[in-house]
Amino acid sequence: MASKANHHPSAARQRFGSDWRAGRITAWLTTVDHKRVGLLYIWTTLGFFAVGGVLALLMRAQLATPNENFLTRGSYNQVLTIHGTTMIFLVIVPILAGFGNFLVPLMIGARDMAFPRLNALSYWLFLLGGIVLLSSFWAGHGAAQGGWTSYVPLSTLHMPGHGEDFWILGLHILSISSLVGAINFIVTIHNMRTSGMTWTRIPLFIWAILTYAWLLVIVLPTLSAGLTMMLLDRQWGTHFFDPVHGGSPILYQHVFWFFGHPEVYIMILPAMGIISEIIPVFARKPIFGYKAVAYSTVGIAFFSLLVWAHHMFSTGLPVGLDSFFMLSSMVIAVPTGVKIFNWLATLWRGNISFDTPMLWSLGFIGVFTLGGLSGIFLAAFPIDWQLTDTYFVVAHLHYVLFGGSMFAVFAGLYYWWPKMFGRLLDERLGKLHFALVLIGFNVTFLPQHFLGLLGMPRRVYTYRPGGIWEVYNVISTVGSFLMAVGMLVFVLNVVITARSGRRASNDPWLADTLEWYTTSPPPAWNFDRLPYISNARPLRDVRRRLEAERWK
Amino acid sequence: MSAAAEAHEHHGPPPIHYSSRINPAVLGIFLFIGSEIMLFGSFFTAYFFDRIVANPAQWPPLNEAGVPFERPWFLALINTLILVTSSFTIHWATVSCKKGNRAGLQAGMVLTFLLGLTFLLTQVIEYHRIGFNTNDTAFAATFFGLTGLHGCHVFIGLLILLVITIRAFRGHFSPSAHHGLEVGGIYWHFVDVMWIVVYVTVYVL
Ligand code: HEM
Ligand SMILES: [Cu+2]
Repeated sequence: MASKANHHPSAARQRFGSDWRAGRITAWLTTVDHKRVGLLYIWTTLGFFAVGGVLALLMRAQLATPNENFLTRGSYNQVLTIHGTTMIFLVIVPILAGFGNFLVPLMIGARDMAFPRLNALSYWLFLLGGIVLLSSFWAGHGAAQGGWTSYVPLSTLHMPGHGEDFWILGLHILSISSLVGAINFIVTIHNMRTSGMTWTRIPLFIWAILTYAWLLVIVLPTLSAGLTMMLLDRQWGTHFFDPVHGGSPILYQHVFWFFGHPEVYIMILPAMGIISEIIPVFARKPIFGYKAVAYSTVGIAFFSLLVWAHHMFSTGLPVGLDSFFMLSSMVIAVPTGVKIFNWLATLWRGNISFDTPMLWSLGFIGVFTLGGLSGIFLAAFPIDWQLTDTYFVVAHLHYVLFGGSMFAVFAGLYYWWPKMFGRLLDERLGKLHFALVLIGFNVTFLPQHFLGLLGMPRRVYTYRPGGIWEVYNVISTVGSFLMAVGMLVFVLNVVITARSGRRASNDPWLADTLEWYTTSPPPAWNFDRLPYISNARPLRDVRRRLEAERWK
Repeated sequence: MSAAAEAHEHHGPPPIHYSSRINPAVLGIFLFIGSEIMLFGSFFTAYFFDRIVANPAQWPPLNEAGVPFERPWFLALINTLILVTSSFTIHWATVSCKKGNRAGLQAGMVLTFLLGLTFLLTQVIEYHRIGFNTNDTAFAATFFGLTGLHGCHVFIGLLILLVITIRAFRGHFSPSAHHGLEVGGIYWHFVDVMWIVVYVTVYVL
């Protein structure tokens, strides 16, 4: 295809600057380039990840042995609340947005997002929201203490200081940020695809981001509404949730979980999208069942809107409702299973190479599946009555969120690092990082299943001495520090390869999607030219065409 | 030869390709309105939950004197008519713009703005004289929650209308370029329709 000839190199250079990364600080502060915004997101979230991780280590240190006096009761609850909120709202959701920002225009062959300035706005709101949330620690009476769920009346009647208000304000800002970003993703994917890229030719990661964005648009406002009502109850004397004055605390739980359950799929669907990109590349086979993977993403998202009360089995819902929410939750396991089997079928008889991105992806499949299985246990309400609010739930959610989402995030970082920075991360350090985290993760969280089955409640700052609880707890603490060491290896890897890492070619993994068509890192305008897209694996087509031309 | 090498025979972006006929800004505002509907939906949920699940016996509940809280439905009805009228005036402004009738555009926008302002001021007066306060039971919380949330939207809408009106007087918008007007208009229609739902729920049912 002949593109317009009026783009001489010099003209393009003048318009877009020679290298989009080579600016001073102000260039980063004022940027509207989707790649820069994406990298800002990723660096910032990695910073918050370190903060959240340190908070987690503080908790594990306190719980290493019973009757420890490392943290006080009040400060333990603060640490717990900010840890959970940070990991969910400041790490996983935004880092997936960061990947989306960097990758969506590149993967669909666009010059930028549909609304570049809104994109920058969503990043800066995110940073602001994060700062407000963390500043909760410096409020009178300390940070919020209600956990990431912040149930009423705990958070309305029993939390006098302003830490909770900072928490609310922070989440308000963050939800506006995510909403703006989500609208931008949807419009970009609808409107900016390059020619030939129909809905069944977009990469599976794009399907995931599209679904993620739709879920955000649908459920984030519910969180905003719940937080607003909570704030009004706290500060304006209203009684939305106060049963003494005709309100209802259960109402808060419904509102929160109508948001909260889809939120967990907001955090896992793009992670699954990352895995669906990586597995075929390193198995050297096309994904098995593109359409099944794509439509199961949409199916999971749809069902995730119908299951929220599985978090509320112990509130005494009518048995009919309990049964409905039990069955709808179990139905979600079907499209989830479809994905897992499709990944396994992709691996089947593949020519597998075990590079670091692939190791993280394989780790993801194993660990995430375990987490999904414990989820099905919990979805059976008689079992949940026994296990709710115990460490079993903590184990479940970490298997799906850490072993799921964060493993996929690291898979994605190792995989797209060369495209982002032009240098590959070191493979040996990467494998060490993976091994330490995989082992540390299971040492930390596997025993928590047993703790939960033995009745140890979650969100407690200490426990009775004696018995096997002590053993499991100390094992868990050891595992958490092992993971921390693994994360230090990652930091080391980043620092070392920043100067001496192997330079990446445009397409170091021989992948099939469009982002590998351009240079590593890409120019400000992303592509000089684009092939016509005739299937979901455009680069393989290009490779084949070039091969054929060579033999002509 | 790698697949990517052939991509760099010249420098600069290829022409932009749009994969949808919908204008991005219009799609964006519709998505935003979708999220707004969910926001209102949550407050409606709170309203119906507090009414049907938490207070099934008596709604509106009884005040200290033992009579149900009074809702000024007639005043609100007049106000509803005012707001609905403003939807027609902004439609007229848009149509005028598309026909190149600048005077119609300007008059339509001024009228819309004034009608919206009247609505908001009437609501302020209504709040002032209504006889109960935000802390009088969950009924009052949901009443002020829904109408207040809507009032905030009218306020934002008025700011948007103001900007559009000023632009109309500065000679912006033409029969071929009027997305700013259209997007603001979509939002204003939404604020209108949402009020009808709020009115029926809070004052009539
Ligand atoms: C087959 C799929 C799944 C099922 C059936 C399921 C079921 C459940 C149930 C019933 C609970 C409530 C436990 C309780 O509090 O008593 C729960 C908690 C939780 N789940 Fe899942 N889950 C599934 C997958 C996931 C995924 C994919 C994620 C995230 C990526 C996730 C994240 C969470 C979190 C964060 C909690 C704890 C919420 C809290 O703080 O109370 N789950 N899950
Ligand atoms: Cu759930």
